[in-house]
Amino acid sequence: MTGFGPNLEDFEPGDLVRHGRGKTLTPVETTTLTHLSMNTSDGHFDAHRYSQTAWGGTMVFGGITAAVVIGLSMEDTGAAAIRELGVRDVRLCAPVADGDTLYAYSEVVSIEPRDDRSGEVVFRHTGVNQRDEVVFTCERRVLVRRRGAG
Amino acid sequence: MSDLGDARRLVRGYRYADFTPGRRFDHATRRTVDRSDSLLFSATTLSLCPLYFDAEAARADGHPDVVVNPYLVLALVVGLSVEDLSEHSEAFLGIGEAQFARDVYPGDTLRAESLVESRRASASRPGFGIVTWQTTGLNQREEVVLRLSRANLFEVPR
Repeated sequence: MTGFGPNLEDFEPGDLVRHGRGKTLTPVETTTLTHLSMNTSDGHFDAHRYSQTAWGGTMVFGGITAAVVIGLSMEDTGAAAIRELGVRDVRLCAPVADGDTLYAYSEVVSIEPRDDRSGEVVFRHTGVNQRDEVVFTCERRVLVRRRGAG
Repeated sequence: MSDLGDARRLVRGYRYADFTPGRRFDHATRRTVDRSDSLLFSATTLSLCPLYFDAEAARADGHPDVVVNPYLVLALVVGLSVEDLSEHSEAFLGIGEAQFARDVYPGDTLRAESLVESRRASASRPGFGIVTWQTTGLNQREEVVLRLSRANLFEVPR
């Protein structure tokens, strides 16, 4: 596992990056992931009913929005994770519609060394849509491996 | 054959008025998580950490198998609570804090229980209210795998 980075030593508080890839949320995927998560709210999968409401169609389950924004950041933030510790102050700031495209930003908030093998990194993630509107923010705590540590 | 227009629409779940602070919900549906669930979720969310894809890497790190993606665990524990808590809400607003307390592995069976934490009128949107719950995800050994608090927006009937 030592081949995967970035490692603890590669992060600096204040580092802010926009991750290279974006992702368009297609209805097939978002409804599949909604059902996989056992979410029974039909606002995520009854396009006919919700096309007749003020929403104008189905909206993406916030659990999927969170996973996609954090996922878009994962190779650059958590590839050398020992484990994910948690998230806090998760704000689903604006609705995400099926068909929207999400992009992710990450900022290093703090780094706290724990032992010879790892330290805790707090990231602030921001997810924006194709119109650059912020749809998601959170802080995420990850236990990240030191370089060369098994 | 009766007229289908006469049918009652069956709707499940609780409403804003039902969420008295302190009320507990033991969500009935459980879910066994298998390897393919986590692989599909991790692949489609680009969650590129080897612990979720590579059993050899996970074992080298002391795990018995691939680790189930914690963000699937989060979505699933929330998902298992939706029928009782939030099918009638307008929007999922956010999570105060979620702590991944224990790793989940393929074959584990998860369930969820919730406690109503607070209920209040929305300050910014007249006619709407906000409910917060503490939800706990547990495995088949009743070990806590996830603790979280979440908030949803409800339209409040006059």
